[in-house]
Amino acid sequence: MSLIGSVTKAIYPAQSEPVLDRDVDWAIVQKVQAGNVGAFDQLVQKYREPIFSIIYNMTSNREDASDLAQETFIKAFQAIARFKGKSSFFTWIYRIAINSTMTFLKKRSRRRYISYENIDQEVSNSEIFERLTAKNQTEKGALISELQEKLNDALQKLSIKHRTVVILHEIEGLEHTEIAEITKTSVGTVRSRLHYAKQQLQSNLKEYVG
Amino acid sequence: MASESNDSHKSIKVEDLLRLKRSERPTDTFWNEFDRELHQRMLQTLVKKDPWYRQLMRTFSGPRVQTLGVSCAALFVAMLLMRPATFERTSSQAEVAAVSASIASASAVVVNQLALSDLSASSRSDYQIEMISSEVASVELGFTRDFSLEGIQVASEDSDYSMNFGLNGATFGSTGVVSLAF
Repeated sequence: MSLIGSVTKAIYPAQSEPVLDRDVDWAIVQKVQAGNVGAFDQLVQKYREPIFSIIYNMTSNREDASDLAQETFIKAFQAIARFKGKSSFFTWIYRIAINSTMTFLKKRSRRRYISYENIDQEVSNSEIFERLTAKNQTEKGALISELQEKLNDALQKLSIKHRTVVILHEIEGLEHTEIAEITKTSVGTVRSRLHYAKQQLQSNLKEYVG
Repeated sequence: MASESNDSHKSIKVEDLLRLKRSERPTDTFWNEFDRELHQRMLQTLVKKDPWYRQLMRTFSGPRVQTLGVSCAALFVAMLLMRPATFERTSSQAEVAAVSASIASASAVVVNQLALSDLSASSRSDYQIEMISSEVASVELGFTRDFSLEGIQVASEDSDYSMNFGLNGATFGSTGVVSLAF
């Protein structure tokens, strides 16, 4: 296993958890539906980080991401009585988050990608940063800031649909089938969008890739 | 040493760069603030009443209302499909009604004419009966006509003349006052 892989697993141990925890989620949802409103907090604690991460990477703005993530949970709370459990809770709430973000991005007149989150210390010491530092002959701190800016810029150049697929697959680690279910498209469409998006990113990040 | 050299020359892919985004994580302070704001907003939504249009939308999005809407639509379609037959029936009924109306009007004219003739005949006879009855009544009451029309006199101030009209006679005075002499 590569170092990047191990670091990723260490940071996001719950990447595949939503799928496995489908029954657990459904049990919590049923508690909320039965009137135990406090049980909703368990769902918030469980999904706030991936929801925020998706929205943050789609908007590249911390404040907008925070607002939209809160809005997602409020919408889910308001509609939870109508949730029948036909799909998993995580698919349902991810769909709410993505639809809310897409609506927001369509309305937003100008781009605002100014705020960045802190890079985890473990990752900044990872192999990929060592190689990038060696390749670009830059100081690590400066390289991290530069790379964050370039990555956000490259993501924002993609269309909303292509950006969504890339974020869900490459950053959030979801399977093609899960993305297809969330975005209500076919698996073929997901793969096609992913392929095109990667080509675009390759072109926009060519100084770091290769 | 050889493996390290090999690793450093390994190409960097787009996927590798994108995975770095996974490590962008907010601080605990951010999450505390996030939770506080979220609870506040959730409480507000519990208290705040939805605007009327949202309530209306929720009302019309209910399963019962949807069922009712589908039923109404089905009824409407059924009415549209049945409409030509109904129309034909209606038109034939209208024709029958028109014919019967014309027959009725013609018969009404005849009936009216008959009624009028009956009425004139009956009124004439009634009048005669009435005249007869009045004479009879006057006789019965002991009232006898002791006058008869004999002449009309016309008086004039300028000239004193009189005119007799035939059998009855009329006298005209100069004052212009006409007096009737019976």
